[in-house]
Amino acid sequence: MGIMDGLGEGFSVALDPTNILYVFLGVLIGTVIGVLPGLGPTATIALLLPITYELEPTSSVILLAGIYYGSMYGGTITSVLLRLPGEAASVVTVFDGHQMAMQGRAGPALGIAAVGSFIGGTLSVVGLILLAPPLADLAVQFGDPEYVALTAFGILLVTYLGTKHPVKALCMAALGLLLATIGRDLVTGTSRFTFDQVELFDGLDFVAVAMGLFGVGEILYNLEKTEKAEQIKSKVKNIWPSRRDFRDSSGAIARGSVLGFFLGVLPGGGGVISSLASYGMEKRRAKDPSRFGKGAIEGVAGPETANNASSTSAFVPLLTLGIPPNVVLALIYGALLIQGITPGPQLIDNNPEIFWGVIASMFIGNLMLLALNIPLVGFFVQLLRVRAGILAAFALLITMAGVFSVNNDVFDMWVVLVFGIIGWLMKKTGFEPGPLVLAFVLGAILEESFRRSMLLSGGEFSIFFTRPMSGTLFAVMALVVLYSSVMGIRRRRQRSQLPGVAEEELRATGLEAEPEGTAGVAATSGRTDGRADDDGVPGTGGGSTRAGGDRP
Amino acid sequence: MRPIRRTAPALIAVSVLMLAACGGDDEGGGGGGGGGEAATDYPTDDITLYVPYAAGGPTDLAARTIGTCLEDEFGQTVIVENREGASGSIGMQAMLAEDPDGYTLSLIAVPASATNPLQGEDVGYTNDDYVPIAAVTEIPSVLAVGADSEYADAEAFFEAAEENPGQLNVGVPGTTTSQAMELKRMAEEYDIELTLLPFSGNAEMTAALLGGNVDAVFINSSQDVLSNIEAGEFTPLAVSTPESVDYIDAPPLAEVGFPELTNSVSVFGLAAPAETPDDVVSTLEDAVSTCLEKPETVEQLGEQYVPDEFIGTEAFRSRIDEIVEVYGPILQD
Repeated sequence: MGIMDGLGEGFSVALDPTNILYVFLGVLIGTVIGVLPGLGPTATIALLLPITYELEPTSSVILLAGIYYGSMYGGTITSVLLRLPGEAASVVTVFDGHQMAMQGRAGPALGIAAVGSFIGGTLSVVGLILLAPPLADLAVQFGDPEYVALTAFGILLVTYLGTKHPVKALCMAALGLLLATIGRDLVTGTSRFTFDQVELFDGLDFVAVAMGLFGVGEILYNLEKTEKAEQIKSKVKNIWPSRRDFRDSSGAIARGSVLGFFLGVLPGGGGVISSLASYGMEKRRAKDPSRFGKGAIEGVAGPETANNASSTSAFVPLLTLGIPPNVVLALIYGALLIQGITPGPQLIDNNPEIFWGVIASMFIGNLMLLALNIPLVGFFVQLLRVRAGILAAFALLITMAGVFSVNNDVFDMWVVLVFGIIGWLMKKTGFEPGPLVLAFVLGAILEESFRRSMLLSGGEFSIFFTRPMSGTLFAVMALVVLYSSVMGIRRRRQRSQLPGVAEEELRATGLEAEPEGTAGVAATSGRTDGRADDDGVPGTGGGSTRAGGDRP
Repeated sequence: MRPIRRTAPALIAVSVLMLAACGGDDEGGGGGGGGGEAATDYPTDDITLYVPYAAGGPTDLAARTIGTCLEDEFGQTVIVENREGASGSIGMQAMLAEDPDGYTLSLIAVPASATNPLQGEDVGYTNDDYVPIAAVTEIPSVLAVGADSEYADAEAFFEAAEENPGQLNVGVPGTTTSQAMELKRMAEEYDIELTLLPFSGNAEMTAALLGGNVDAVFINSSQDVLSNIEAGEFTPLAVSTPESVDYIDAPPLAEVGFPELTNSVSVFGLAAPAETPDDVVSTLEDAVSTCLEKPETVEQLGEQYVPDEFIGTEAFRSRIDEIVEVYGPILQD
């Protein structure tokens, strides 16, 4: 199917009244939870997973994708107006966005973010259209050794990228891999760690684990904090940016789109990293870097564009290889599995309505977001008055009813509660659930592929290095490990003399001193609080290649 | 929630029974869902049909289609509920937890339903706990290679396998499925050794075959596989039925040198708890038989999958006994 035919079919799917409704619902929910600190896209999608079970597969992905990129828009609003990132990927927007608001330029800050997000999102959809089909054709040739390489690479990158403590992240990834071994062994048929519970024969339910760790864990964590009414200090007016604003930020938007697209495709990439990388890049390129942190519009436009672009391109590995590159996509992967659809190289051929329908819905969704955001900023800000306690009780109720509805099984409700408590404890102790959940999902693919590779080769490990694709991937992996260790040592030496820029700035904005303020950040995936005071990668090293290719 | 759901119908049933017992004959005609008077005018209430597999799959399709037809036959609502997990054991347990009165049934997928209890683990039921009612669909397995494979037919394939033991890779769906067990028997009884690669479903196996990462697959010939054969992506080498089928152009394994290998045929049918009264079982059996005569039901199930000759409770039971006899020893290893 050619691109035009595909897009034609896609739009006929996406323009179906029901699907238009789901795009709208998705971007609306996305914006709302983006605004609300304490509920990020990960938690929301985790909570809503069971509901999608009742929908058509295409509608459910359209809805969840809408929530994901919609939250990238919404997070900006609170970052700019309240110096409080609504979700993790908008942390850097705080630096210049809030400064602009203090100078009475909240309107243009929000306006340029919306326009940039729209451009980044749309360009990224175009990139997705061009890249995904050829990649899927290539991926059909992938055998088990390649999948071993890809999943291992993914787990490795996830534990390195965007985590504060690679060691803690590695522990969590290891725990995730162990949890993935529960259930019947695929090759021998023996039960592992099931303790004679029939409910455990198929392993833990991914939906229940994710809902527990992200959803319930999040809710419990947020309840601990004291509630504080938020006051909007600055008035929002003149949203549409001036011609000069556009001129200043056009370069940042262009670079942010490209950077975000590529960082989104990378395993472990996604909104947080691309916005940080874009900020670092803009600052490095600027003629006068000292303007950053004092209301430079490029510092808003670049990161906001990049995080939106990456939230779209993250669909590439999922829809072509069947490998989710980050936690949100892992949840969408779960949603497709619930529907009986295994994402993989054949998805584009077998379920063209899903692939092209979702792509077309992204065009529509981005357009809706642009239309929603500019006139409705004031309305969204009012949402901050909803008390966290009410929200939490409501969310918990939906969670428990939802998880029961997937398998009609009370056992899954217990799994949610147990993992909710684990998630809460992890959050309190600085362990991140992201690597755990991703390793849990990828672990199953990794193990099956590894076992089959061993059956194929008769137990010879050489199978991983003699095949060109998997050999290359393992070589790249070795380089990444080597490079990051060397850089790690070098950076540790520099650290004492030169604190990272991002760290400095975060401190300056007082985010670190105010744990409540970062709630929304910690809320999403727990990545940001880590990134925020990681030793200033975007600031010191900056640049696309650095943060993207070799930073891990 | 579950305790309530479980106990409430039981309590109602018990109280109806007690009323019936106390009130003598006059109470007997009451419209409740009790087991006592089920004999004469069954069914008088909603019937729950559990599907022990995920919604949207071939088992689900069979259950929902036959459920709709039973609704028309009986004039009672048939509630189809998916209780997936543990290769069907969870759904079977759900059915056995209810009263054996014919108001709770389950779909079974033989051989899986029959082999689950044979694997040396407690799955919550044995093959004596349920009574098969009738088969709805019958899906054979097909041994297939990719379009550009060097093996044009079964003879070439098995010749190559004989010359190079263990060199040919065959994808199978899981390791305790009938497909895997038939190929194990092929190694043990006929000395043809293939390397089995267990996958978890048709989609994965199809991808592996199309990508040239396995030499062949031994796969359930469900609709997706038939379309791949039709499109020329798959070349069928042999089918698992005792006799050839008209919709797959390949000889049975039994005719290419493996006369014993005829058991890898999935049969989806209905079952009830073992203590269900005989006349209730035969009412259901007759109803399924009538349904399988209806053109619209047959069309929905897939004409090729509906057994040519009706498989009622006795034939179904002896099929299960045969599977237990053949696969039991392999599974207990």
